[in-house]
Amino acid sequence: MLKIKNNIAISDSGFVFDARTGDSFTLNTTGLEIVQLIKEGKDYQGVLQVFLDKYEVDPESFERYYLDFVATLKHMNLIEGNGED
Amino acid sequence: MSKLTFERPIIQRVNAGLPSKYGIPRRLEPISHIDGSSIRSLLEEFGSPLFVLSEQTIRKTYREAYRAFSSRYPNVQFSWSYKTNYLNAVCNIFHQEGAWAEVVSGFEYHKALENGVPGELIIFNGPDKSIEDLKLAISNNSLIHIDHFDELYDIIHLSREMNERPKVAIRVNMDVGIYPIWDRFGFNYENGEAWDAINRVMASKTLDLIGLHTHIGTYILSTEAYRIAAGKLASLAVKLEKKYGLALKYIDMGGGFASKNTLRGAYYPGTDTAPSFDDFAEAITSGLMSSEIKPDHLPMLVLETGRALIDEAGYLAGTVLATKRLSDGRRATIIDAGVNLLFTSFWYDHDIRPVEIVSDQTEDTTLYGPLCMNIDVVRGNLMFPLLKKGDHYVIRRVGAYNNTQWLQFITFRPNVVMLDMKGKPHLIRRRESLETINSQEEIPDHLKNFNL
Repeated sequence: MLKIKNNIAISDSGFVFDARTGDSFTLNTTGLEIVQLIKEGKDYQGVLQVFLDKYEVDPESFERYYLDFVATLKHMNLIEGNGED
Repeated sequence: MSKLTFERPIIQRVNAGLPSKYGIPRRLEPISHIDGSSIRSLLEEFGSPLFVLSEQTIRKTYREAYRAFSSRYPNVQFSWSYKTNYLNAVCNIFHQEGAWAEVVSGFEYHKALENGVPGELIIFNGPDKSIEDLKLAISNNSLIHIDHFDELYDIIHLSREMNERPKVAIRVNMDVGIYPIWDRFGFNYENGEAWDAINRVMASKTLDLIGLHTHIGTYILSTEAYRIAAGKLASLAVKLEKKYGLALKYIDMGGGFASKNTLRGAYYPGTDTAPSFDDFAEAITSGLMSSEIKPDHLPMLVLETGRALIDEAGYLAGTVLATKRLSDGRRATIIDAGVNLLFTSFWYDHDIRPVEIVSDQTEDTTLYGPLCMNIDVVRGNLMFPLLKKGDHYVIRRVGAYNNTQWLQFITFRPNVVMLDMKGKPHLIRRRESLETINSQEEIPDHLKNFNL
């Protein structure tokens, strides 16, 4: 299960602050939504279902962009290590 | 309830620093239509990628340029620079507007003739004119601009052999404060070679010297350079009249006016820095009018500007093939047109826009073309909206040089359409096919078969 690191604060407008490094980030709407769903403890299937219900997107495209997005979160050190989905 | 449009999820690092007081808005407004014609529909009908040329813009730009010069000088003639874009439909718009043809090779010369331009209204420039080309140009009374002494002597020989009086002009290069100096074409002004060439033409008694020509460079942002060039050509004209009593028919100031594209590495966008036609016209005409040339002998002013007349009218539209991340986390977007079609991306930071409406979100992106070649970079880095596979883009100001310098490399060259004055598309150059390429090839008998 993916887990956002404890020291990461996320505002409702998509502003992300890493208290450990002082780095800040911004998320777009879909990015924020995914991060919030991950924080709620949803796994990939759960996130996927929310998006399929709400957005004009097919499962294959969503998976592609989701995995790419999660890889970027890892690249930015925002996800707990070994957090394989 | 209808579903929301899905945008790729992204996260971006906020780089705190001093904001630039020259901050340029990052939002790229989408361009969905050209002259009222939907880009998406054009791509569906004619395939992707697709060059789109606007007849409206070509005519509007030409008339603006002509007005700038003709309102300041009594006798102005434009001559369409074939090498800038020699698609016949494009050339013919300029010819309909009254422009002559300016060509730099036998191929372009024949193209102009086939388009119906009378031989005597073709200016023949360039360092490579074969004896056959010269013979044809002489018999057609074309205006031959002499590039070097070897060519000058060839023409003198031909004039005797053919018993004709070729109409010639001397091409002059000079120092106008632009560096590097373009001294490889024509005869130099400062070292006296241009004057020597003029004397040699006059001494031959078999050539009609009717003009002087210069082309000081390309994408010139300084109008002052043109004022200096006009003054130097005028001083040669005055010397010529004084010594031989000959009044020149024309002075040809060449081209090289900058378009509104932005050069790579330029701090300000070309839309802010490129002088207007009025600026260029003011410099050139004041250079001539304030010279010592007698007012009733003012020669015709010929202009061969290409880039500034056609760049704005050309668009390259296409489709996003893929997006991926690079090793350092930056985004890469791969589009279906690369440096093979967009030769000018080697020196311009082209203005690339989404076709469909996008959100305000942008990310630092490198735009790659589709070629399996590392050099195929259309834009090194730009803040670009979050386009996905299948989304469309359009690149502005690609009318100059791309339809002549494009490469048949790895893939075919695509369809080119022209939107007429009502915005209706006309196919003006067909997409190439395997047959187009293979029809030029021959395979020796012993290489026709193989067993694998």
